[in-house]
Amino acid sequence: MLNDLVELLNKNIKDVDAEVLTPENGDHSILIKGKNSFHSAIKFIKENDSISFNALQVISGVDYLDHIEVNYMFANFDKNKPHTAIVKVRLEGRVDPSIDSIVDLYPAADFQERECYDMFGVVFNNHPDPRRILCPYDWEGFPLRKDYMSPKTYAGMDVFPDDKMNMNQREYIVHEKAEVARKKAEEKAASESKTE
Amino acid sequence: MASQNPDNYQLSATEPNVTTEEALKSQLMTLNMGPQHPATHGVLRVEILTDSEVVAKAIPHLGYLHRCMEKHCENLDYRGIIPFVDRLDYLAAMNMELGYALTVEKMAGTEVPRRAQLIRVLVSELQRIASHLMAFGTYAIDLGAFSPFLYAFDEREKILRLFEEISGARLLYNYIWLGGVWNDISEQQLERISEFCDHFEGEVDKYNNLVTHNKIFKDRTCNVGTLTAEDCFAYGATGPVLRGSGVDWDLRKVDPYCGYEEFDFDVPLGAGEEGTIGDCWNRYYVRMKEMKESVKIIRQVLDKIEDGPIMGKVSKVLKLPKGEVYVRTECPRGELGIHLVSEENGKKPYRMKVKSPCFTHTSMLPFMAPGQMIADFVATIGSIDIVLGEVDR
Repeated sequence: MLNDLVELLNKNIKDVDAEVLTPENGDHSILIKGKNSFHSAIKFIKENDSISFNALQVISGVDYLDHIEVNYMFANFDKNKPHTAIVKVRLEGRVDPSIDSIVDLYPAADFQERECYDMFGVVFNNHPDPRRILCPYDWEGFPLRKDYMSPKTYAGMDVFPDDKMNMNQREYIVHEKAEVARKKAEEKAASESKTE
Repeated sequence: MASQNPDNYQLSATEPNVTTEEALKSQLMTLNMGPQHPATHGVLRVEILTDSEVVAKAIPHLGYLHRCMEKHCENLDYRGIIPFVDRLDYLAAMNMELGYALTVEKMAGTEVPRRAQLIRVLVSELQRIASHLMAFGTYAIDLGAFSPFLYAFDEREKILRLFEEISGARLLYNYIWLGGVWNDISEQQLERISEFCDHFEGEVDKYNNLVTHNKIFKDRTCNVGTLTAEDCFAYGATGPVLRGSGVDWDLRKVDPYCGYEEFDFDVPLGAGEEGTIGDCWNRYYVRMKEMKESVKIIRQVLDKIEDGPIMGKVSKVLKLPKGEVYVRTECPRGELGIHLVSEENGKKPYRMKVKSPCFTHTSMLPFMAPGQMIADFVATIGSIDIVLGEVDR
């Protein structure tokens, strides 16, 4: 079914460059490479006649360090055609990776995109209300990124006060790969400063 | 503050005749509902702009119960996560555990023994009844009726005592483990569940006489907060909210898991016996009917249950292959979806995203609120039955 949908997408939407990902384990999904035609691709997914999805269930970001992947889970709440699809986009860059918002197509995306921004720092263009949602509005950093370090103080308060328990577990465990990437970047910066 | 000196009082300004219509301020008033408000069922803050008694705009502010659950899960092994998913929807912890267990088992390819499957269905349906009883009781309190709450808690207590015997805890069970369940259920306990079923069906009729068809209750809930099927699709609503709008969608029927396909039960829909389809009353009544269907399923489980092992073969240190899955299950409040991304031979999830039904339903509040009276808005919040542990995660 995903193959049919991808065929339709590639035929009807210009520069969408979609493909089906078939990993060995787990669910198959659609990867949309043409980010500029992402909005029109989702519009097609919603409105076409043969395989359409009337509901957006969730937007789930995943940080792979070299790129941030945004997963859109679509479903069709129709007993006769209960199909689902995972649509992915991959965003490069750590500073304000951006993708078009789909709030105008699926109002459900409103809170979901806000959460994705809150946790991963993905900027959704044309979102009507781009605020944080779960963290405080003045929080710094994006907690679910793998290289996130929790701030030491917030609003003048100590985030990890000394009199609290679990002293040895206080610092968030940064993902191993993120640690390696951070060290590499530091070494690179050090060697560059030497050459200068 | 005005000074205490009586000479400073400007009495003329308080005379009614002096005030002209132009001098009267006409602007929207901001009203803060929550975070500590009994009608929000937790720590939800809704900023309401009101035009006298009518809501013009409602802005939910979430995050008061945010516990970084998804971040914690990335640092825990797969078994250690089960107590954490308990704390998502603390009123339906069994269903949360079931959803998580199914996700990991799908990825690991674990087979669950039949007795464990049936026990899982049994406890999750009992939990569904307990959760709907809580929804029923607190909804009645929201609308000013106190005694239904006590009736509901009386019955809920029986289920919680049963769970306490089975699992050792009353609310957060850690009972459904990867590959099966932690503890077996004895014959006496099954008998007691059977007795509870016989007794409980009459109780639901009592509630219906007491509350559902009560004139005041109907006046408060009929034609309030109406959602059409299209609205529900647009916002991705699931569970009793979707079925209350007359959409025949239940994952236990559409995409059966855990052996639900072998049970005979109906999917109650909002039919508009009172009010219009999709209003608060219909959503509420779907829950009342669902409790009876759950009793039906429990009776069938009791007939079918057979001896056997309760744990499947799961290695001591569970390692999953690389990949990702998205698994949906039908919880009392809607569809719980878990998106799990695992690394090659990883003992911990690389990423675990929880799609919570209550989060989705909370996003409908700004859509439902405008034009309602404040009291009706309280009725609307109660009818979508949110649990903030799940909204904020």
